[in-house]
Amino acid sequence: MKQGELGKVYVDREIIFKEGSQGDSMFVIQSGKVKITKKTEKEEDLTIAVLGTGEIFGEMALFDKQTRSANAIAMGEARILSIDKKKLFSSISRDPTLVFKMLESMSRRIRKLNDDLTQFKKNKFDVLHACVNLEDTCTLILEEARNLISADNGSVMLLDDKGETLSIKSAFGKKSDSHLQLSVGEGIAGDVLNSGRAELVNNVSMDQRYKAGTAHIKSMICIPLKCNDKNIGVMNMSNNTDRLFTLEDLKVLNALSFYASVAIENARNFSALHDASEQVLRHATLLDM
Amino acid sequence: MNNSREGNSQLALDDGAHIAVIGGGPTGTFFSIFALHMARMIGKELNITIYEPKDFTKDGPGGCNRCGGIISELLVQTLAVEGINLPDSVVQKGIHSYKLHTEQGSVSIATPALEKTIATVYRGGGPKGKVSPDIASFDNFLLEQAVREGAVRKPVRIDRIVLKNTKPVLYAKDAEIQEADLVVGACGINSTAPKIFEQMGFGYTEPEKITAAIAEIGLDEKVIADCFGSSINLFLLPDRNIKFAAMIPKGTYVTLCILGKKVTARTMKDFLNNPVTKAVLPDTMPYEIHCSCLPKMNIRAPKKPFTDRVVMCGDAGSTRLFKDGLGAAYLMGKAAAKTAVFDGVGADEFRANYYPVYKSIIYDNYFGAMLYFVIDIYRKWKYLTKAMIHVVDKEQQSSRDEKILSAMLWDMFTGNERYKNVFMKSLKIRMHADMWEGLFKGLVRGKNETG
Ligand SMILES: Cc1cc2nc3c(=O)[nH]c(=O)nc-3n(C[C@H](O)[C@H](O)[C@H](O)COP(=O)(O)OP(=O)(O)OC[C@H]3O[C@@H](n4cnc5c(N)ncnc54)[C@H](O)[C@@H]3O)c2cc1C
Repeated sequence: MKQGELGKVYVDREIIFKEGSQGDSMFVIQSGKVKITKKTEKEEDLTIAVLGTGEIFGEMALFDKQTRSANAIAMGEARILSIDKKKLFSSISRDPTLVFKMLESMSRRIRKLNDDLTQFKKNKFDVLHACVNLEDTCTLILEEARNLISADNGSVMLLDDKGETLSIKSAFGKKSDSHLQLSVGEGIAGDVLNSGRAELVNNVSMDQRYKAGTAHIKSMICIPLKCNDKNIGVMNMSNNTDRLFTLEDLKVLNALSFYASVAIENARNFSALHDASEQVLRHATLLDM
Repeated sequence: MNNSREGNSQLALDDGAHIAVIGGGPTGTFFSIFALHMARMIGKELNITIYEPKDFTKDGPGGCNRCGGIISELLVQTLAVEGINLPDSVVQKGIHSYKLHTEQGSVSIATPALEKTIATVYRGGGPKGKVSPDIASFDNFLLEQAVREGAVRKPVRIDRIVLKNTKPVLYAKDAEIQEADLVVGACGINSTAPKIFEQMGFGYTEPEKITAAIAEIGLDEKVIADCFGSSINLFLLPDRNIKFAAMIPKGTYVTLCILGKKVTARTMKDFLNNPVTKAVLPDTMPYEIHCSCLPKMNIRAPKKPFTDRVVMCGDAGSTRLFKDGLGAAYLMGKAAAKTAVFDGVGADEFRANYYPVYKSIIYDNYFGAMLYFVIDIYRKWKYLTKAMIHVVDKEQQSSRDEKILSAMLWDMFTGNERYKNVFMKSLKIRMHADMWEGLFKGLVRGKNETG
């Protein structure tokens, strides 16, 4: 089979040009794929785009006279035609309409970047929402728990960053204890956090660990929340009335605790991602216009 | 009789205007692609009909607009920028170098990174008797692009155009075919079509032309790869009738192209028997000539290529002397499209906007003629040929960036540069110093050999 063979062949992962280098030509892909990558602040390669046959790249450095803004790397074998800057500009000076197609391609790219950015901002908003509402995540968990079992009160308590104190992130029922804080090992919740074992206590007042608050409860279930083998908090469900919890209730809540832990961890990760995205967005103000 | 409305500058193409393009070769299709694209940019709808009787998918001369099929580096790159990328099926071979053969020796001139920047193509479906899935016609590729842009293709040969109420009306076999708001004469010079425009009486005359020769030499693919690689072989011989000849590798064929003042079928035979040619072709392997023709070449453009609602482009108008006719087809087709869409279709608009591009080619050809005159002297006078080979050889061996003569010859024969720029390069003192050195050495050596 005959091979049409215009251009130069680059092997898989061969660098066509490097970020920061001088640009004397632009390129048109004849066959194969090229990825455009950029180094992040953490020195990791971030793929900005994957381009295919017929697409132009490397034109930016010709027009803004700056160094290459990204790397271009062959993905698999790629055949690339280079177009010399001097020849191109001499042709454009004689026929300015030669840039029509390039402008079309560039504006298509800017449009896509704008779309990406809008999407990114939207995601960022969601992220922001999710992380500001770590408490909401906990509320959601409690709502789910209430759907599964009957209880008069409930709370999700999370360990602080230092890993010393448990505090309530969300609660329902008697509100008076919403500011309750427990040290690790203190009270039934503190002990469950320590042991990592779920407990059903149907006679709370008889339990020596119980630390009475203003709200008087008669029975409770306390489930540890674990992430990567680390106990990050507890979920409590309690009754003021004589209604007792069953072993089945314990099992159901234990199962829920797995998903609850993942949701809480995600909310925390989102918060970290949000901080990073804020940083990236600050660098991308150009496209905000 | 001249019925034209010359001087009327109000002739703009309205929305829905009808354009008739006579000839679906490169000029006609480039015109159509760009006119439709530009019109869409400004929200105008154009109806373009391309009249082309040839079926470019057919093998042999019947489906072919006979030429060497070299797409110059500049045209390959310009088309890529325009978003017209030649598919692998159209490109028969990518070329990265030229080998120059003379009676005084041979040299090779290559692109800097051995990048294949020149394409060789078949204009039609391939040499006679050889229809292959590996061969896709260049002209058909462009015609399909034009149809994709919105042009309508009709397999009709136009044989008369008459102005009726200031609008051109087209006839085929004495039947009226279409009234048009603009007629684009992209009919080349290999048929009687230019006469149709002559008869319209607006002052157009058929371009001055010479006869050239083309032959398709069938060889084993491996032999072609070994003997030719990715190089075009160029011959500058002291033969009076041959200005220059080229052998262009394409798959299982080598296209032989001979340009000169009096080229006939006999010239072709003589050329193939020349020892310099024989040294290039394999000596044991037999070769066969599958297809040959004697097409016409435009060597002087007509003075009056337009009137109201009519414009002549490409080979039927002005083209580049002895090289890159396809590049000129692109240039002129696009210049006509730009004028028609953005300025208008009156004689005044063509004079103001199209004619400068048309004349720039004519003007550049003056420099071309001078350069060919010099090359003629060099190829005919053996010591100068020797000096030329010596300098190019020295330049190719050297790590020096500036290889003046190599670059000149490359630009001259690849169509990469305008003749004027090549001519300007030829004025560089350094090259002449090198030439004198080469000439001196040649003469001394010649004297030693004879003495
Ligand atoms: C020997 C030789 C070698 C060449 N080699 C090269 C080369 O290697 N590279 C290069 O760039 N250029 C080369 N050229 C020049 C090149 O062939 C021309 O410049 C180019 O073909 C011009 O394109 P065109 O569309 O103007 O005309 P054409 O290609 O001639 O096309 C004209 C079209 O009009 C159609 N037509 C004619 N009459 C009518 C009618 N009455 N009604 C409807 N349609 C009609 C024809 O069928 C044809 O398809 C060469 C020329 C010659 C002679």
